[in-house]
Amino acid sequence: MKRYVIVWLGLLAIVALEVAVTLARPPAKLLLAGLLFFALIEAGLGLLYFMHLKYERRSFMWSVILAVVIAVVLMDHFWLDAFRLLHQRLSAP
Amino acid sequence: MAELTVVGEPSPFGVTSRKLGIWMFIVADAATFAAMLFAYGYVRVANPDWTRPFALWPTIANGIVMTVVLLTSSLTVIAAVLAAQAGRKTSALRWLGATMLLGALFAALHLREWIAMIGDGWRPFRNPLGGTPLVGATFFSVTGLHLLHVIVGVIVIGVIALGYRRGRFDPGHLEAIGLYWHFVDLVWMFVFPLVYLMNLR
Repeated sequence: MKRYVIVWLGLLAIVALEVAVTLARPPAKLLLAGLLFFALIEAGLGLLYFMHLKYERRSFMWSVILAVVIAVVLMDHFWLDAFRLLHQRLSAP
Repeated sequence: MAELTVVGEPSPFGVTSRKLGIWMFIVADAATFAAMLFAYGYVRVANPDWTRPFALWPTIANGIVMTVVLLTSSLTVIAAVLAAQAGRKTSALRWLGATMLLGALFAALHLREWIAMIGDGWRPFRNPLGGTPLVGATFFSVTGLHLLHVIVGVIVIGVIALGYRRGRFDPGHLEAIGLYWHFVDLVWMFVFPLVYLMNLR
């Protein structure tokens, strides 16, 4: 149980860091990159320790992680269209 | 009469079919949430007049409390699984009860926030601050789907706890619902920074 309490405290510390970074008002792109970095660390800790992937077979761990990563990568194709719309500067209806 | 023997293949990953099943659900659900968050990102990038509606007090402060509550509920569900695996049934049931209470608290805080926003004029397709109405659409859809997962999780934990108390369910069932609950927690680790912190005024 001690191990899980340490991970829990680590996750709380990362949440505190996220809030602190947000309140420092960095540029939006930098803030997004920082928050995604922290969120990925939290997700990694949650998957490996809370969800026990660290203690499963490597083949199982990578099958699960790669399935989600591939799905997320496949969703990346529409960003170009989002930026195209941004540059058109369409106003709200 | 000949005896019929059914021989199954061993699991390719060395896990029970129950655990494999819940993991397959989690992978599919992760893709669903990823699609929701990507859609939110798309409309946010594409809208130059995006409104940042949230103040540090009360919305972000409420979000921090909700995050702490949900993270703590992950710890209590682990305590329940460990107690069940050690054969400490009463302790496991108490920890499951604590998890349900924390889940219900999270849902109550979330609903209170929704009610306050609706009172301020926010709707899925209306922005009282005058910017794009997609702010409300994405906020209510992303947080609504997550809230639905929390509420369903609390109910299922209750059902599992009842079954476990009556001896119908074993520690493996607790582990399966624990995996689901951790996943709900994990999704919030993306929703909170992307939907709340990125929308701080």
